[in-house]
Amino acid sequence: MSITQIIINSLIRASVLCTLSIGLTLVYDILKFANFAHVELAAFAAYMGFFFNVTLGWNIVVSAALATLATGVLAMALDRTVFKRLRMTHPIIVMIASFGLAIAIRNTLRAIWGPRPRSFAIGLQKPILVLGARITMVQILLLLATLSSIIALHLFLHKTRLGNSIRATSDNPELAQARGISTEVVIQWTWFVAGCFAGLAGVLYALETEIEPNMGFSLIIPVFCATILGGLGNPYGAMLGAIALGLAENFGIYFDFGRILSLGGLLGISRPLWIPTAYKQAIAFFILVVILLMRPSGILGRKVRSE
Amino acid sequence: MEGLIRFLVHLAIMTEIYGILSLTLNFQFGLTGLANFGHVAFFMLGAYVSTILLLVAHCSFPVALAGSVVACGIFGLLIAIPTSRLKADYWAISTLAVAEILRKFFYNEKWIVGGGYYRGGAHGIGGIPAPLEDVFSAGAYPFFYLVFAGAFLASVYLILERLTHSPFGRVLKTIREEEVLSEVLGKDTAVFKMKAMGISGALAGVAGTLYASYLGFIGPDQFMPLVTFIVWAMIVLGGLGNTRGALLGAVVIQAFYSSTRYFKDYIPIPADRLASIRMVAIGVLIVLTILFLKEGLLREKKKIYRW
Repeated sequence: MSITQIIINSLIRASVLCTLSIGLTLVYDILKFANFAHVELAAFAAYMGFFFNVTLGWNIVVSAALATLATGVLAMALDRTVFKRLRMTHPIIVMIASFGLAIAIRNTLRAIWGPRPRSFAIGLQKPILVLGARITMVQILLLLATLSSIIALHLFLHKTRLGNSIRATSDNPELAQARGISTEVVIQWTWFVAGCFAGLAGVLYALETEIEPNMGFSLIIPVFCATILGGLGNPYGAMLGAIALGLAENFGIYFDFGRILSLGGLLGISRPLWIPTAYKQAIAFFILVVILLMRPSGILGRKVRSE
Repeated sequence: MEGLIRFLVHLAIMTEIYGILSLTLNFQFGLTGLANFGHVAFFMLGAYVSTILLLVAHCSFPVALAGSVVACGIFGLLIAIPTSRLKADYWAISTLAVAEILRKFFYNEKWIVGGGYYRGGAHGIGGIPAPLEDVFSAGAYPFFYLVFAGAFLASVYLILERLTHSPFGRVLKTIREEEVLSEVLGKDTAVFKMKAMGISGALAGVAGTLYASYLGFIGPDQFMPLVTFIVWAMIVLGGLGNTRGALLGAVVIQAFYSSTRYFKDYIPIPADRLASIRMVAIGVLIVLTILFLKEGLLREKKKIYRW
C-alpha cells in the first residue's frame, strides 16, 4: 500500500473521530463529565438518515442534514429530561447515567431496525486515483464536510455572541453568570451543537461504512482516546488527537515492525512483524497511555486540578 | 414446578456470583472513590485463568482458584498505579479500555486456552470441570453449588465488612472524602489505593472462577463492558458505600435481568427484539435510579465521632 493511501485512510479515520470528539469535548468542557451516550447519538443519526433516505426516499443531502439536526434536538432533549437534573451530582455518577442512556438508545435502535447492517441508497462508489491512492467521491465529501464543520465551529466559538458565551461559561461559570450570561441557555445550545456534530459524524461514518446498531459503541474507545489525547474539554485538542490517532492506527497496521527490531539487518530477525488489525483499538489505547504518562492532562489539556 | 425451582436456584447462584462483583466494586468506588469502569476485567481474568489452569494445566479446583485470585490481585495493583497521576475520569475511561483490550486478547488468541477446532478465541471454551462434580447427582449439583458459591460470597462479605470497619477502611474513606487530608495525616494515598484495588480485584477474581466452573463454558462475548455497568447499577441502586446495599442491589438487578429473559414465553414478540427491549429496560432502570433514588435503597451509615 502506498504512503499516500495510508495518509488518506488516516485522514478519513481522523475526520470521523474528530467530528465525534468535538461534541464529546464541548459537553465535557461545560458540564465536566464524559458522556458515554455521545457515540450512540452518531448511531441514532445514521438510522435517522436511513429512515429519510431509504424509507421515505428523500435526497441524500437533505436526509443527512435533517438527521444531523434531529440528533442535535435529541441531545438537547436528553439534557432537558436527564442531565439537567444531575447538574450537582458527582461526575462519575453522571457518567454511569449516560452509560445507562447509551444502552437504552443502542437497543431501541436495534429493537426497531434489527441487527442487520443497512446502507444508504447511494450505490457502489467507484474510486478515483489521486497520487496513486484510491479515494471515492463520498470520502472526498467526508473530508470536505469535516473541514468545513471545523471552520464553522471555530468561527462560531470566536465570532458569535453565543460562541463567546460558551467559552466564557466553560472558563468560569460564576463569572460568566455575573456578566449576565444565562448558564442554562449556554448549556442547552452546547448540547445542540455537540449533538449536531455527533449527528454529522454518524451520517458520514455510515456513508463510508454501513449502518448497524453497534456502530456507535464500536467507536467509543478510539473516540475517548482521541479526546483525552488532545486534553478533555479542548476542541482543538480533540482535532489534534483525532489526527494523531488516525495516523497511528493506519501506520501502526501497515508498518513492518520486523525492520525496526532487526535494526536494519544487524539482528537476525528477517521475519516481517505486523500488528494484527484486530488490535487496532489497542494501538489507540497504547498511545493514550504513553501520552498520559508523559502529560497527564493530554497534549493540549489544561493543568490538572487536584481532585 | 420443578422448572421454577431450577430457575430460582440458577438465579440465586448467579446472584451470589454477581454479589461478589458488586461487593468488590463497592469497595473500590463506594469506599475508596476509585471509579473502575472495567470491573469486568477481573471477572474475565478470573474466569480465564482458572479455566486455563483447569483445562490446559490440569490443576485441581483449589489451585485454579488460588491462581485466579493471585492473577487478579496483581492486575488490580497494576491498574491502580496511574490513579495517583491521572484525573478520576481519565482513569475511569482507561479502565474501560483495558478491559476491552483484555477481551480482544482472549477473543483473538486461540492458543491461550488450548486452541484447536472450536476451542478458544471467538468460539469460547467449554467442558470446564466443576468442583466435586462426580460426588453429586446431576439434579442435586445445583443445590450443592448454591451453598458452595454462597460460602464464598459470605467470606468475601465478611472480609470486606471487616476491612471497611478497620483503620485501613477508615483511611480509604478519607481518601474518598478528602484525599489531601489523608496525605496531611501522613498516609501514602497511592499505596492505599493500590492495596484497595489489589485486595478487591483478587476477591473479584473468585467470582470469575465460580462463574466459569458453574456454566462450564466461557467466551469473550460474556465479558462485554455491559457487565461492568450492570454491576454499577447494582451498587448505585443498593446505595454506595454500603456493603449490605451492594448485596441488595445484586439481588434486585439480577432478579430483574434474569427474569425478564423468560417473558418471551408470554409476550408475542420475536426473541431478538425482546432481548433488545430488555436491555432498554436495564438502561432506563439505571437512569431512573440515579435520577430518583439518589442515595440508593440503603444509605451509607455515617458514623459521627464525638470528642
